[in-house]
Amino acid sequence: MNGIAVWRDGAADGPTNMAADECLAAEAVRRGGMVIRLYRWECTTVSLGAFQSIATARACDAIAGLPLVRRPSGGGAIVHGSDFTYAAAIPKRHVWGAKPESLYDAVHGAMIESLRSCGVETRLAEPDPTAEGAFFCFDRRAGGDLTADHPAATAASRNVKLMGSAQRRLADAVLQHGSLLLAPNPDVGPAARHLALADLTSAVGSGPDGWPVWVDEWLERVAAALGQQIEEQPVSFLGTAPLGLAGGRERFAASRWTNRR
Amino acid sequence: MAAPRRYAQSHEWIRLEDDGTATIGISAYAVEALTDLVFMQLPEVGRHVKAGESFGEIESVKAVSDIYAPVSGAVMAVNEDLPKRLETLGQDPYEAGWIARIRPDNPADLAGLLDQTGYDALVAKQSH
Repeated sequence: MNGIAVWRDGAADGPTNMAADECLAAEAVRRGGMVIRLYRWECTTVSLGAFQSIATARACDAIAGLPLVRRPSGGGAIVHGSDFTYAAAIPKRHVWGAKPESLYDAVHGAMIESLRSCGVETRLAEPDPTAEGAFFCFDRRAGGDLTADHPAATAASRNVKLMGSAQRRLADAVLQHGSLLLAPNPDVGPAARHLALADLTSAVGSGPDGWPVWVDEWLERVAAALGQQIEEQPVSFLGTAPLGLAGGRERFAASRWTNRR
Repeated sequence: MAAPRRYAQSHEWIRLEDDGTATIGISAYAVEALTDLVFMQLPEVGRHVKAGESFGEIESVKAVSDIYAPVSGAVMAVNEDLPKRLETLGQDPYEAGWIARIRPDNPADLAGLLDQTGYDALVAKQSH
């Protein structure tokens, strides 16, 4: 396989998006190469890390009343709706399969370069163990997260986390999904409202297709890291009715999964 | 003398004990590859698992990985202290860092797994 298949999906609910990401991993195995899915959310939704406490989520006033979905991957809670969300998957036999952190590095490294060409300077974060247990992903600082300084940097606005990703390492594939904050989300309370790209620059917006202007360049840079090309797919991933989507959706919507911890 | 460890392609080790049970853990290579561990979901005692089936999960700062049963059998015991002391997995992955004990449906199934030489070759291949 020479190309990286890319699907650009419309908005869907949380369980559907999580199930689609699992199906994406199966698609990577079927194709024998890397695949990427870009997607949106039908309403502001909070995704929890695989092992986060549901009681903590329910007790968080800043996200009260919002739909919750639990991810198959780890990490902290993310408020989706005004973010850019992607999923990427590689088969275990991929050149990056034995060192899955290579996928993480490539995706984040490509984003640094793409944002730089738009005039936004970001960098890879140093890990901060003191923030490891924070409830929200964007309050944590894992090594490799994408951070930036606010133009009018104060102590509170240095080292602003803009993007984080997490993986689920399956038997035959690695699934990675991540989020880059585009704008503050109006549907959440202050504790869940993090500084976003729009707070750092007004120069980066959406293109005519509704996706951020840097998306195409980002995809090209990810592909270049593998010496491959992007192959945009003519229909959305959900439009392909991937095998296992309905069952996966039911599983991710079930309280047994959401309340597992 | 303890039976030699066997390994699954997914980096779990298994060792047959004198009482017919088998002890399972994850290899030192796998622990190192997972980096900073933050949480572990132990297998469920009493559950019957099939070879290759996920029966536990482990979370590191960057990833959640499944723990797969190397052979089919019933889970007899788990290392309850391990999730509270995840550093044990890195310090002593083949003894104090054991994860579960199962009663294999067929102890002969262990012979189908990688021996130490085969596993070392797998690790060498994946390290490049």
